[in-house]
Amino acid sequence: MKLLGTARLALNRIWATKVRSLLTMLGVVIGVAAIVALTSIVDGASQGINKSLATLGTNQLNITAMAPDALSEQDAYALADLDGVSVMFVQTQNEGTIATEDKRVNARLVGVSAEYFEAVKPDIALGSYLSDSKFASSAKDVVFGADAANDLGLTASMLGQSVKLNGQDFRLVGVLDDQAGFGTSGRVYVTLDSARKLFSQYPYVSSIVVQAETPEAVDALQLATDKLLRERYGLGTETDARYTITNQASLIAAVSSITDTLGLLLTGIAGISLVVGGIGIMNIMLVSVRERTREIGVRRAIGAKQSNILTQFLIEAIVLSLAGGVVGLILGEIAAYFLAIIGDWVFSIQLETVLLALGFSLVVGVVFGVWPARTAAKLEPIDALRFE
Amino acid sequence: MANPVVELENVRREYLVGDQVTVALDGVDLVIERGEFVAIVGPSGSGKSTMMNLIGCLDRPSSGVVKIASDPTSELNDNQLTSLRSKAIGFVFQQFQLLPNTTAIENVMAPLLYQGVSSKQAKLTATEILNRLGLGERLNFDRNRLSGGQQQRVAIARALVASPDIVLADEPTGALDSKTGAQVIDLLKELNKEGRTIILITHDLEIAASAPRRVFLRDGLIERDERGAK
Repeated sequence: MKLLGTARLALNRIWATKVRSLLTMLGVVIGVAAIVALTSIVDGASQGINKSLATLGTNQLNITAMAPDALSEQDAYALADLDGVSVMFVQTQNEGTIATEDKRVNARLVGVSAEYFEAVKPDIALGSYLSDSKFASSAKDVVFGADAANDLGLTASMLGQSVKLNGQDFRLVGVLDDQAGFGTSGRVYVTLDSARKLFSQYPYVSSIVVQAETPEAVDALQLATDKLLRERYGLGTETDARYTITNQASLIAAVSSITDTLGLLLTGIAGISLVVGGIGIMNIMLVSVRERTREIGVRRAIGAKQSNILTQFLIEAIVLSLAGGVVGLILGEIAAYFLAIIGDWVFSIQLETVLLALGFSLVVGVVFGVWPARTAAKLEPIDALRFE
Repeated sequence: MANPVVELENVRREYLVGDQVTVALDGVDLVIERGEFVAIVGPSGSGKSTMMNLIGCLDRPSSGVVKIASDPTSELNDNQLTSLRSKAIGFVFQQFQLLPNTTAIENVMAPLLYQGVSSKQAKLTATEILNRLGLGERLNFDRNRLSGGQQQRVAIARALVASPDIVLADEPTGALDSKTGAQVIDLLKELNKEGRTIILITHDLEIAASAPRRVFLRDGLIERDERGAK
């Protein structure tokens, strides 16, 4: 019998016992749906994290002072003169208070050089950046991060109005969007000049950011930066806790490797349910072989070879598993779609997820179908015919 | 001019039941010529089922020679035995044994499909035979919608469809009332007149009497071999 004919026998049988077939598939449906949904959660989560990190720029180096007097503005000017530096900005920060007439809360006050907004380009919700403020361009302007603005209950009508930072009057020129970037939300930004007056840390800064002209140049710039700072402070080659240099690209790589591991773990757990689903198929197929012993005997008597019987039962197991895989894939993608809405990441159907789901269910069908199919094929025709 | 289609030479078949050896056939010689209508008769335990299995290429002898359509079966492996069976034997069973979830025509097509005949050709041949047996109106009925007599006619059509050397009918009337049973026997006689070799296995002497040759088995041996109408 040709393969197509044998496949038709298998399909007829599955169709003739619809309810049982559906229940048999259920394990694989759940297993595959779980794998698809979990994969999409991990993808979505790492997408979100990478997006946040990318707002900091993949070609940037952060040089963070490990002590209040470890780095100075002069260091920053020296770094700006290095070859291949396109943007440099300086941050200095301290805890402080922010207040309106009727409310007062704590916040992190950050002084940034003019280049900060140019380099980071955080999304702005209201008003403008410090540099292109349409209000009086005095040094005493302030831009709020989203959380800080919420804490004080700031609204659009307060743009241009006065808020107090550490008791001093500042003019509100902008509020950053909630999604503006990693860690911007709870902060309050003022110019470096204002910060000097607010914290009186001058000339020390808490961090310097230098940006390479291209992402490829970052590693070389990191070496040059380290060399320059060691020279300036007379440090040897030993590690020193004066400052740390963080490379955004390597941070993203580290996060990716964490999410990849997490993904593997979750997929592995979902994989267990797929194996259980496969055992369910095997179990039902073994029952089915027993129930159909006489049918097998009759088929052998009218000319079916062992290979015909083997193929018929194997195709049945594969079709059950693969159909379960397709249904599971659809359910999993639907779940992923809603998870994407809830988690606010971009939903997309990945080709590799589709291939993985179908591939896994195919393998499950073959692996767990072989034993029942062999059992059926190995039945002696006489015994099978006589079976009651 | 002899043209034997079944040859049994000193055939012995024993089974191991637990650690006890049971002899089902104890050195039997039998020749059936092409075109004969033979009844193999005996009570249960006489060895007639064993003989049917051997003639039907479902089993091999413990010793002795079984030749079906001149092919000795002892040395054949499962695949070769299946090929011989598919070519030489058409089975008719007591309980009809139509395949489940399968229409009349699909049942009749099955032996041809297993031989590798194309589905189109198999359908033509099966339709022709079912028409001949008066089932042309019921090609697409499954077994639940066919009476016992109709089911047995479908089974006979299935046995005939691949033009086997032998039609091997195992108690073909056992599950039918006497009137329908008689019609089935008439059909077998008619097929025999057309030149088909029919081997009828039965314990029923009355049914056996309809065959021109009757082989009586008892305790694994041929008790007598009668010819001529009774």
